[in-house]
Amino acid sequence: MLQTGVLAQLIRALRCLPGIGPKSAQRMAFHLLQRDRQGARYLAESLLAALDKIGHCAECRTLTEGELCPICANPKRDRTLLCVVETPAEVYAIDQATGFKGVFFVLNGRLSPLDGIGPDELRLDILEKRFRSGEVKEAILATNTTVEGEATAHYIHEMARQLGVRTTRIAYGMPFGGELEYVDGNTLAHAFNGRKDF
Amino acid sequence: MSATGSDYSADRSRVLLENAVILHRRAYRETSLLLDVFSAGWGRLRVLAKGAKRSRNDQSRLLQPFVPLRLSWAGRGELPVLTGAEPDGATIGLDGTALFCGLYMNELLLHLLPPHDPHPGVFAFYLESLRRLASDSCRERILRFFEIFLLEEIGYGLSLEREAQGREIDPLKSYSYIPDHGLVETDERGMDSVQGSTLLGLQRQALESSNELQEAKRLMRRVIHHHLNGRALKSRDLFKPLGKVLSA
Repeated sequence: MLQTGVLAQLIRALRCLPGIGPKSAQRMAFHLLQRDRQGARYLAESLLAALDKIGHCAECRTLTEGELCPICANPKRDRTLLCVVETPAEVYAIDQATGFKGVFFVLNGRLSPLDGIGPDELRLDILEKRFRSGEVKEAILATNTTVEGEATAHYIHEMARQLGVRTTRIAYGMPFGGELEYVDGNTLAHAFNGRKDF
Repeated sequence: MSATGSDYSADRSRVLLENAVILHRRAYRETSLLLDVFSAGWGRLRVLAKGAKRSRNDQSRLLQPFVPLRLSWAGRGELPVLTGAEPDGATIGLDGTALFCGLYMNELLLHLLPPHDPHPGVFAFYLESLRRLASDSCRERILRFFEIFLLEEIGYGLSLEREAQGREIDPLKSYSYIPDHGLVETDERGMDSVQGSTLLGLQRQALESSNELQEAKRLMRRVIHHHLNGRALKSRDLFKPLGKVLSA
């Protein structure tokens, strides 16, 4: 009975959410239809509105409603400091946690040649243009510390170096409040090699 | 993800603490990883690491390329499941250009090495090459010898001592590579020709001058291109910006 019709379509649609299997999707569908029809309408309208209105910021490529995101549009932000991140979620994470006053650039991915993603697919030419404009004094490379994140950081570093832009890489090592004994060997090695004057 | 008593008993297709490295990993569903594994005794295979990305599980950090590992997996089917992972010695710290070279080697292995075909020799040479990449500055030489070794081991070996007619390579003559045929003597010295001394240098693992390295690179590029049936290697793009940005 559930295999056809609008209800089945709704259940299938809900499964596009991360972590939602058939059983959960069915529970959600029944909840929305039986207990919270108003909420369901609100959800549907919000989804449509978000899809219609939210695009990529012309400057930093994060998700935003307007032409520019609030960070890029803010005149108080220091435009000579450019923090390069992989995803829009990381913009929020850094902005909330660090008090960083510069602007961001979102790669929307990372260099992953074995997945077929090279510099051209990642549109690094847009970032190159930004470096060429001469506005950026320091590029903070805040890509992940995975193999792909490191490769991406190094590639951008080379590009920036040739264009005379200074680059810095976020530090990694001991987690805050971490205990040496329980930290994995790789992290500990990085923390040890990257030690600082006290 | 330690093995529980129940799945110990039945499964005969269980591999324990096998020497292995990860060539590539990609996300699978929300919390799992699909790993392209290169192991000493089982060759290249794909393994599913269930739940490896859950935050309380720090396996995700361990399951990275360029980390010598001991992996255990189980399952007869198409996609065995990872049952354990331990580091086996220190991580090979590749950074910068050495990291690009490592990615290039991984891409070569993914495309050239047939799955489920053990090549313990290639495995050992691969790890050795990675370690040399981490410390040695002449990365081109390391890559060329790895390419030669890999092709030889998987049966695409290039005869570097004799040309297609069976005559010995003369260090002073020029040769060009013809796919499925071999090396042929040529009078022209152009982009496609290789000096005999370069060929002998490749054979002896002794490439010296920058000219020899250049020639060897162009030769191996054509040979590999042929064996990949024209498929482009994406990791080569990583080496491009160095020249491109300057000239743009």
